[in-house]
Amino acid sequence: MELKIKGLTKRFGDFTAVNNLDITMGNGVYGLLGVNGAGKTTFMRMLCTLLEPTSGTITCNGRNIITMDSEYRKILGYLPQDFGFYPEFSVEDYLYYIASIKGIPKTVAKKRVKELIIKTGLQKAAHKKMKKLSGGMKRRAGIAQATLNNPEILILDEPTAGLDPSERIRFRNLVSELAEERLVLLSTHIVSDIEYIASEILLMKDGSIVHSGTAEGLVQSMKADVWKCYVGKAEVPALMKKYKISNLKTENGSIQLRIISEEKPLPDAVKEEAVLEDVFLYYFGEKAGVDNDEI
Amino acid sequence: MMKFELKKIFLKPVNRILFIILVLITVIAGILTVKDVQYILENGDDIHGIKASRSLEEDRNKWSGYLTEDVFKKVLKENRRIEKTEKIQSKNYSKKQGIEEINSIISLAFTEFKEYDYYKVNSVRASEAGDIYNKRISRLKNYLDSGQERFSDAEKEFLITQYENLETPLYYEYAGGWKALLDSQYMLTFMTILVVITGFLVAGIFSDEFQLKADSVFFSSEKGRNKAIISKIGAGFITVTSVYWGAVIIYSAIVLFSLGFGGYGCAVQTGFSNWDSIYNITYLGDYILSVTGGYIGSLFILFFAMLVSAKSRSTVIAITVPFILSCAPMFLGRVTVFAKIMALFPDQLLRINKSLDEFKLYEIGGKTMGFITIIIPLYLILFIILVPVLYMVYKKTEIK
Repeated sequence: MELKIKGLTKRFGDFTAVNNLDITMGNGVYGLLGVNGAGKTTFMRMLCTLLEPTSGTITCNGRNIITMDSEYRKILGYLPQDFGFYPEFSVEDYLYYIASIKGIPKTVAKKRVKELIIKTGLQKAAHKKMKKLSGGMKRRAGIAQATLNNPEILILDEPTAGLDPSERIRFRNLVSELAEERLVLLSTHIVSDIEYIASEILLMKDGSIVHSGTAEGLVQSMKADVWKCYVGKAEVPALMKKYKISNLKTENGSIQLRIISEEKPLPDAVKEEAVLEDVFLYYFGEKAGVDNDEI
Repeated sequence: MMKFELKKIFLKPVNRILFIILVLITVIAGILTVKDVQYILENGDDIHGIKASRSLEEDRNKWSGYLTEDVFKKVLKENRRIEKTEKIQSKNYSKKQGIEEINSIISLAFTEFKEYDYYKVNSVRASEAGDIYNKRISRLKNYLDSGQERFSDAEKEFLITQYENLETPLYYEYAGGWKALLDSQYMLTFMTILVVITGFLVAGIFSDEFQLKADSVFFSSEKGRNKAIISKIGAGFITVTSVYWGAVIIYSAIVLFSLGFGGYGCAVQTGFSNWDSIYNITYLGDYILSVTGGYIGSLFILFFAMLVSAKSRSTVIAITVPFILSCAPMFLGRVTVFAKIMALFPDQLLRINKSLDEFKLYEIGGKTMGFITIIIPLYLILFIILVPVLYMVYKKTEIK
């Protein structure tokens, strides 16, 4: 399985949401990391044939996915960020319906729906109406629908949005399980979602991939170091203006700061090992964590 | 796949309520139509509904058969007898109920076109009874020559030919069930409500995917841009068809089982409101034409609503389409400027039974024809065109 993206661009009027992307992806988990508004959703929608590119191509094993049409969608599973459903359907009905529009034969669908209901822990909710499910359960139903056709390409757009920590861990493990022998592209703006499961992380900013590589590789790509230091409360605003602060913690009356800087920010600052969150802040700067409008 | 599309429609609580309301309206419309049939007893009291229909049937079927010169003479004689013997108005009317419809034919034949004198029959002589069918044609000719309405020579010729083509003598028997059904004051309202409520049911078939944010999964699935759309169209078709025919059959059954099926073979011209009709059809033909026209009108209006639903992605906007197409022309059509255009609006298909006596003519390829001859195939073609348009519009959807 090879998904090749070449010169991919999407413009909405004067605004360029995705700008000249060139990526090649094979089997494995790809984490698409970027702030809200970076163009992740637009990129994923093009991968799912929901949007046509303004220019550029996406090929699957050498064939353009637009001309492949339903042949391409047959091997695709997609969990959108704003995952909608039919409120009056039961979970089981919903999955049977999705199975039917995915072209899964009835007998296979029966087996798959049963399997996935168990896999996603939805046994007790199988006959419940979708509108009565909790946020976490809805997401689980979402991942079940995305994997019904055992897709070779699985695209998950912000799959952990709105989930509590335990649901998030459960979800991460589920994705890891699913990742075998397929291409999984998972977009998020939460670093921990992909830190441990992604074989490659793509950092997306203003419609472009600014960096890519493994978590370790990205950490090494930083041209700055991470420093830990303790300061008084009054000094914090000035330091925040001057440096990128990846963490701030009050400890015994003073403030512990985690600063990203090429130079030692304070004489008593101690060098720390960088983690992916520091990389996120380093590349996305003050935009990191700011909820922009979805693009 | 289609089963689930139908489930989506009929599992919606609002649609379930509307469906129940529609069933109730259908039954009420049927009962009111039956109750509209009136029979006046000799003491002046009136009875309604099934009993009234049975009494009318008994009185009128004494005169069933071909309305020949002899029959008209007998009717005129009977009319004179009642006039002489019954001076009390209620008794007079009560006794005339058996010949009332034939009396109307005679009165219409001997009054000017577009006029009606209920008492005219009282002054018609037996020697004139043989002229009744010719009078129907001559009064049309007089009207056309009078210049009250502007018709081209081709149109005049068409009208006269249609009149001359009416097979006479007319066959007459009690057709109370069919007349109550087709002349009912509730039928148009019922048809309009039927289309509007069905509009609510189908308006969300395409737009709900967007409203519920289920669009991304739908369109990224293997069949999302082909078979799944066809199943949506199929679900729309099944809903419109089953709801329309279900309601029409229930309504018709209530009326016809209550008032009787007799008289289906009578020409519509035996009915007071259709004496001037250019459509030489029977009551059964009128019924088939009316319900078929209504069905094609419903299909067009509701598929147009579905197209708006697919294009606008809004169920609310789509719901307004049946309102606009079935109600607005009723008012705008009264404005002279719009009259001719509005006459071809799809709402006309919902009231074909009320348009039989109208002289709405159109010329296509040098051939003149009545609007019913045009409007049914016209909207059938437009509906057929709508289906692939709807498919393509939805297929090309982009999720931004």
